[in-house]
Amino acid sequence: MGDPLVFGILAIVAIVAALMMVTSRNAVHSALWLVLNFATIAVFYVVLNAPFIAMVQITVYAGAIMVLFLFVIMLLGAEQLRGTGVSSRGERFHQAVAALLGVMLITAVTLALMNREGAGGGTAVPTMPITSPQELGLILFETYVFPFEVTGVLLLAAIIGVAIFTLRKKRGTAV
Amino acid sequence: MNELFNLAPLILVFPIIGVLFNGLVGRRFVDHDRKTGERWSGWFATIMALSAFVVVVLLNLALHANHFHAETVMLWDWIVIPGQGLSIPWAMQIDTLSVAMMLVVTGVGSIIHIYSIGYMHGDPDYSRYFAYLNLFLFFMLILVAGNNYLVLFVGWEGVGLCSYLLIGFWHERLAKDGTMKNANAARKAMIANRVGDAAMILGIILTFWVFGSVEFNHVFEEAIHIFESHEEMVTLVSTNIEMAFSTALFAITVLFLIAATGKSAQLVLHVWLPDAMAGPTPASSLIHAATMVTSGIYLIVRSNVLYELSRALSVHSGTISSSDIVALVGASTALYAGLIAFTQYDIKKVLAYSTVSQLGFMIAAAGMGAYVAAMFHLITHAFFKALLFMGAGSVIHGMEHGHHEVAHGHHGHDDDGFDPQDMRYMGGLRKLMPVTFWTYLVGALALAGIFPFAGFWSKDEILAHANANQGEYGLFLVLFILLALAAVCTAFYMGRQLRMVFWGQPRHEAARHAHESSPIMTFPLVLLAVFGTVAGLFNLPKVLTLEFGWSLTLEHWLEHSIQTFELMEEGILAHVPHTPTSLIVEVAALSLGLALVSMGLAFYVYRDKPKTAADPDPTQKIPGLWSVFGRLPIDSFYMKLLVPWFNRFSAWLGFKFEWSFWHDFFHERVIRDTFVWFADLSANVLDAQGVDGIVNGLGSVTRWLADGIRVSQTGYARTYALSVFLGTVVLLIYFLWPYVMR
Amino acid sequence: MTATIDWYVALSAILFTIGALGVLLRRSAIIVFMCIELMLNSANLLFVAFARSLGDLHGQVLVFFVIVVAAAEVAVGLALIVTIFRTKRSINIDEINLLKG
Repeated sequence: MGDPLVFGILAIVAIVAALMMVTSRNAVHSALWLVLNFATIAVFYVVLNAPFIAMVQITVYAGAIMVLFLFVIMLLGAEQLRGTGVSSRGERFHQAVAALLGVMLITAVTLALMNREGAGGGTAVPTMPITSPQELGLILFETYVFPFEVTGVLLLAAIIGVAIFTLRKKRGTAV
Repeated sequence: MNELFNLAPLILVFPIIGVLFNGLVGRRFVDHDRKTGERWSGWFATIMALSAFVVVVLLNLALHANHFHAETVMLWDWIVIPGQGLSIPWAMQIDTLSVAMMLVVTGVGSIIHIYSIGYMHGDPDYSRYFAYLNLFLFFMLILVAGNNYLVLFVGWEGVGLCSYLLIGFWHERLAKDGTMKNANAARKAMIANRVGDAAMILGIILTFWVFGSVEFNHVFEEAIHIFESHEEMVTLVSTNIEMAFSTALFAITVLFLIAATGKSAQLVLHVWLPDAMAGPTPASSLIHAATMVTSGIYLIVRSNVLYELSRALSVHSGTISSSDIVALVGASTALYAGLIAFTQYDIKKVLAYSTVSQLGFMIAAAGMGAYVAAMFHLITHAFFKALLFMGAGSVIHGMEHGHHEVAHGHHGHDDDGFDPQDMRYMGGLRKLMPVTFWTYLVGALALAGIFPFAGFWSKDEILAHANANQGEYGLFLVLFILLALAAVCTAFYMGRQLRMVFWGQPRHEAARHAHESSPIMTFPLVLLAVFGTVAGLFNLPKVLTLEFGWSLTLEHWLEHSIQTFELMEEGILAHVPHTPTSLIVEVAALSLGLALVSMGLAFYVYRDKPKTAADPDPTQKIPGLWSVFGRLPIDSFYMKLLVPWFNRFSAWLGFKFEWSFWHDFFHERVIRDTFVWFADLSANVLDAQGVDGIVNGLGSVTRWLADGIRVSQTGYARTYALSVFLGTVVLLIYFLWPYVMR
Repeated sequence: MTATIDWYVALSAILFTIGALGVLLRRSAIIVFMCIELMLNSANLLFVAFARSLGDLHGQVLVFFVIVVAAAEVAVGLALIVTIFRTKRSINIDEINLLKG
């Protein structure tokens, strides 16, 4: 499941990209950092013998979705938020709780991993060939054909929903 | 069962149709066009009565075809309590006794209907009168046709109601002193009958308690069964109470006797009948002479088994039996009322006391066990007494018309105290009203018991019965003397009446101008006169042990309904056939002789007295007669002692108990004020503070809670996201807990 | 020595936490949205890692579905943001509290 060195480098890149994404003031920067993060994860997929998913990740996520994000950011001119940015007392409390919860989550997972039976020891990882799109496609269209169709309907619903937003807006301005 | 029996319900249907017609639309007919309206109203009612009569005749034929076996025509169930075995049906018992009564009721009733058409002519309430008359027929037929005591009681009360309505028919007419004479008479009848009816109810209840049924056949069978099994004690139905059978029987029969004294005007409840003459004369004739007042006799004759058993039991124990009491009451009434009749001037009141007296004869006969004789006298009496009343009605009618003419001749001569019913104003009507006179004469002779008129045969049979049993019971001698004296009285007061009304000189201008009534009134008189003459044929006695084809018809007819017993030495009852009555020549001769002498004496005494209306009556010289009987001792007793005390007690109940205590104190103070206090407490304290407090408190608490909780709903997406994240972390820690804490 | 599944779990947890904190702490609706995408990716990574670890391809199929749903979600979400921006002239989620009780 990948060389520790490769894993380490990739993990650091991913974490840093994520942190930068969250902390950037500029939304465009955030988007770009996210693209980096997605790309890193695509590499992880390749390491994990899932090249097809990796390609989907690059094309759909890093490509289509992130372009959509950038497009909206720039369309709205919302690179930076207007306003004071000064937090109220309620907000500070909110932030404190959020941070505490984040810490608790990390701590719990870490403790659980360390205390797990055979922690750190290599459980036998089965040898697994690099997944071919053909294999994946067979599973997808045999076992998961119904959910697949459902996702098609979901996408259609999303398209119609978005179209409705747009249409209503247009009619409103036309009047 | 002959199919003709199915017609039985029709005898009730026809009269009720007449009631509905005259009660609902008759008045419109009469008001619209007096002449045709009266014709419709009167003839409709009459045809209904005649139709009922025809049906009864058919039932009579049916009984013949059925070999005189009684049939019960079931109409429907009335009171049914399955658990207690109580089942009282509306059913009609068609047997020889009830059909005999029905024939009298509908036959005489129809004739009186016809008479009424003429008599009531011009009365503003013409149709109401006929509605009452048909209603009376309806209830009277229920009374005689019912197959149990309760249905009989329905009819009993119904005829009482009709009697009340007809006595008070002219309730708005006032007496000369301004009292409501007619209305008071009606109330008197109602109240006097209440006493008897209360006894009747108690008797019926006790009958059910003892025998477990009120149907005649069941009761009688059960009574005979108990008697023959020599049971000393009986257990009352549905209770644990034990009662001596003889006591129970005695109580039932005495209660029925009291009921009969109320309805049949016997001592001491007879006071209402003379006053009942305030009603229209045909109604008096039908109800208060021929039919209704005989229902007491019918009740006793119907219950003959109970009275016979009572007699048998008392022979056993040597005490007085209820039958003996019945006979004594009847005989005393016969003499007592006969004596009072001497002192009456009102032509109808004489007849009324005569009726009381003759009813006494019948009751006495029933008490002596001579049930057939009682029924025989009942039937003949129905004919000739109806005849006499209607004759009296005709006389009154004539007198009123005469007075009318006189008043028209002499203006300002209106009120001289004239009373069209007072015999002192009459006299010499023989020539002016010939048909009325001759028919009246027949009736009077029949009533007096003169051979060969109907009354002779029936009265003689009663006297013969009293005479024949003298040896067996010492009591019967007393009865015989009382009844013989009553018969003498009868002949005397009828002679007096005939002499005063039809012979001599008119004592008033009105009598001089009286004239004969219309044919519609005289025709029924003639018809009844024929019956009054020949009705004796119904039950001719055997003469010198020879039996003719006609003799003892009624005896043989009724023996299918009336049972007689003889107590054997071993204490067992034997059903014995009726002993055929022979004419006892000595008794017949004695009674006929006494009657003739008495009547002749009356004609002699009243030969030219009183000369004028103001003259005293010749019999006032007899010491004690007018001073005792003329003052109506029992009426006086009631009016002087009972009524004032009763009124005082009523006033106390009304003003003190009912108003002061019950209304002012109990209802106003106790109930109302308590209620108001409680309502005030409920409204102003419990509701306003208690209930409202709880409800408002709940509302406040909810609002306070909501105010607290709504703070959490900030509307910011981050708040909700934080909640979700919190949930996620908690769940994760929950799942990982075993590993985390290892 | 090779990277074990534990490492991936840890990495995934870290990325998820960063995403979650971003959602909770940032004000810009678009960045919040991107953080959600990050959280989805951390889950996807874990799916693929377990698929590899257990030798089971079904995990990868699930990732496929997640990506599809994410795409639909992004399309609708961004449309929403655009619409909100048009009415309120802002994408600051702190200014949107129509659901306040």
